[in-house]
Amino acid sequence: MSEFERIPSIKKAPDEEYYVPGHRTCAGCGPALCYRLVAKAAGPNTIFIGPTGCMYVANTSYGCGPWRVPWIHAQITNGGGVASGIETAYRMLIKKGKYNGEQPNVIVMAGDGGAVDIGLQSLSGMLYRGHKVLFICYDNESYANTGIQVSPTTPYGAWTTFTPAGEVIPEGRKHFPKDNAKIVAHGHPYLKYVATGSIGYPVDLMNKVRKGLAQEGPAYLHLHAPCPKGWQFPPDKTIEMAKLAVQTGMYQLYEFENGKYTLSVQLKERKPVIEYMKHQKRFAHLKPEHIEKMQAFVDAKCAEVGITVPVVAAAQ
Amino acid sequence: MGKVRRISGCVAAAEAVRLADVDVISSYPIRPYTGIMSELARMIADGRLNAELVYAEGEHAQLSIVYGASAAGARTFTGSSGVGVTFAFEVYSPISGERLPVQMAIGDRTLDPPGDFGSEHTDAECCRDQGWIQGWAATPQEVLDMHLIYYRVGEDPKVMLPQYVCQDGYFVTHILGDVEVPDEAQVKEFLPPYKNHHVLDPKKPQIIGPQIEPCMGPPQQYQRKQAFDNINEVLIKAHDEFARIFGRRYDPFLEEFMTDDAEVVIFGQGAHMNTAKAVAARLRNLGDKVGVVRLRTFRPFPTDEILKRMSRFKAVGVVDNSAQFGISGGAGVLFSEVRTALYDVGDKVRTVGFVGGLGGEMITHDEFLKMFRKLQEVAKTGKVEKRAYWLPFEL
Repeated sequence: MSEFERIPSIKKAPDEEYYVPGHRTCAGCGPALCYRLVAKAAGPNTIFIGPTGCMYVANTSYGCGPWRVPWIHAQITNGGGVASGIETAYRMLIKKGKYNGEQPNVIVMAGDGGAVDIGLQSLSGMLYRGHKVLFICYDNESYANTGIQVSPTTPYGAWTTFTPAGEVIPEGRKHFPKDNAKIVAHGHPYLKYVATGSIGYPVDLMNKVRKGLAQEGPAYLHLHAPCPKGWQFPPDKTIEMAKLAVQTGMYQLYEFENGKYTLSVQLKERKPVIEYMKHQKRFAHLKPEHIEKMQAFVDAKCAEVGITVPVVAAAQ
Repeated sequence: MGKVRRISGCVAAAEAVRLADVDVISSYPIRPYTGIMSELARMIADGRLNAELVYAEGEHAQLSIVYGASAAGARTFTGSSGVGVTFAFEVYSPISGERLPVQMAIGDRTLDPPGDFGSEHTDAECCRDQGWIQGWAATPQEVLDMHLIYYRVGEDPKVMLPQYVCQDGYFVTHILGDVEVPDEAQVKEFLPPYKNHHVLDPKKPQIIGPQIEPCMGPPQQYQRKQAFDNINEVLIKAHDEFARIFGRRYDPFLEEFMTDDAEVVIFGQGAHMNTAKAVAARLRNLGDKVGVVRLRTFRPFPTDEILKRMSRFKAVGVVDNSAQFGISGGAGVLFSEVRTALYDVGDKVRTVGFVGGLGGEMITHDEFLKMFRKLQEVAKTGKVEKRAYWLPFEL
């Protein structure tokens, strides 16, 4: 890993923006905030690859886009492949004297569909070949631009148009979600840096972007990006939802390097998951037994990465 | 001057890629095109080619990799066969739509079923309307030459479109022929370096492939069509230049064989036309006025050339080496399109379709003989009793 400049605080973050006004995302959009922080941390010598998803549809409608750096569309299936081609092309063109400049940062910004579901094969191919690419999943836990359909990262019990709750299926979404950071972390020999981030913790997020870009080879970041429309909470609560997800352990913030998890936020205690779920109408149909099932699942996920603090309900 | 080597269609394609100084190649194995990539891998390992071979995890990834690499300013190459060609399908239109002059070799193979390795044009013809230049080479020499010509045409600023260079599986990919491999200086004179003005470069930021509104659809598609309309002019010029520099002259659209006073001709593309020519030559010895027309450029389909040059024949038999079920005319896509091209001459030229060589089967001398006899019968009577024949069952 090469040296990188750490951002000490939000006030000392760079002023320059590379993801600028002019897009058409929903009010309170978590993924758009992700993009802004990622672009700010990465700086001007960057090329973004945008597989189909919210950040393609809502950002580029009407033939224009909100980036001050190059951006190219990829299919929802092939963010990793397109990034592999761009990274290889620059490496070869520089080697052959056909391009006069520095190797650019190559960053894929994929949604959970493009990273965890239909795009997983392309991601894995890119990681295994060792391309120097930062692959980021902005996870809003559903296929949102198609009108909120279930994805592999949709939480257990969440309403989507493909997982409506009814008499026969009272919890709606029956499956527990796929954990992509762990899937990719263990089987790709050139992947030395995997981390999770959240827009509720922007300085941590930006430093993880810089650390990912400083790797000799590929890096993978999985970023939690609450979606007011899909999760059904008011648009001014996006950051609150992001923080509550971490405080309840619904989402765990860590870095994974050299086979070890390093926690990014030191919690003194965890709030019960209901403290997070009760604000989101996608969980409104759940019964106490479903909440219990969710709590048990989250407890186990926290234990996996070393979050051992007790769950403490707020005083009534 | 180059030197003559006895090599297969696969090795000839690899030699062209080496001579074109390609930067990024993406590979995935499937018979019969695989030999192209094996040869390129060896060239890179031996230091004869300064390119990176990216091992894609499938054909869809192969096309994704060259899409990105071409958009970043690299000259690219990829290839496939059979179901590999169809697995990559999603990425073909984005490549031509973003006007990236990627080049892809297709060594023909049947789709599944029958799942054997045999050659059929069905795979490549599935992709015929995706905005790619497409043509068939019938010998290893023509393979090498067509790869070089297509890079030049596809990268021309008036065109900027991707290209499929197709060759019949085994009949060309694996058969040795004497090939004059040109030297690098000749190729340098013929093929200028790749220069795309729409490159992903942080020094000149631009976005490629944004979503558009319906009102922007017609002009965007029309621009791709206009680029396609420019191909013929550029193709003709490239063939003239090719002849000047390399001394080999091809007709850009239709190769005619013994057609001068021919009354009936077999029309088709690819290596089976070599057999057709042999049969035509035998029949000429018997005094029959027969010939062969071999299509070299399938996309854009040379409608005007066919109308202009083929309306002098009494009967045209179109051979399709592909399975296209339910297509108009009842044979294959070549038959359907030749009939359309000749529509304006009405009854003057009778057309008959023949589907043959499916699953990699030979189209035999005997079968071509039967086709010529059927065409002579049609020419004599002026009547087409049956529009299309599937060989060997119906003729």
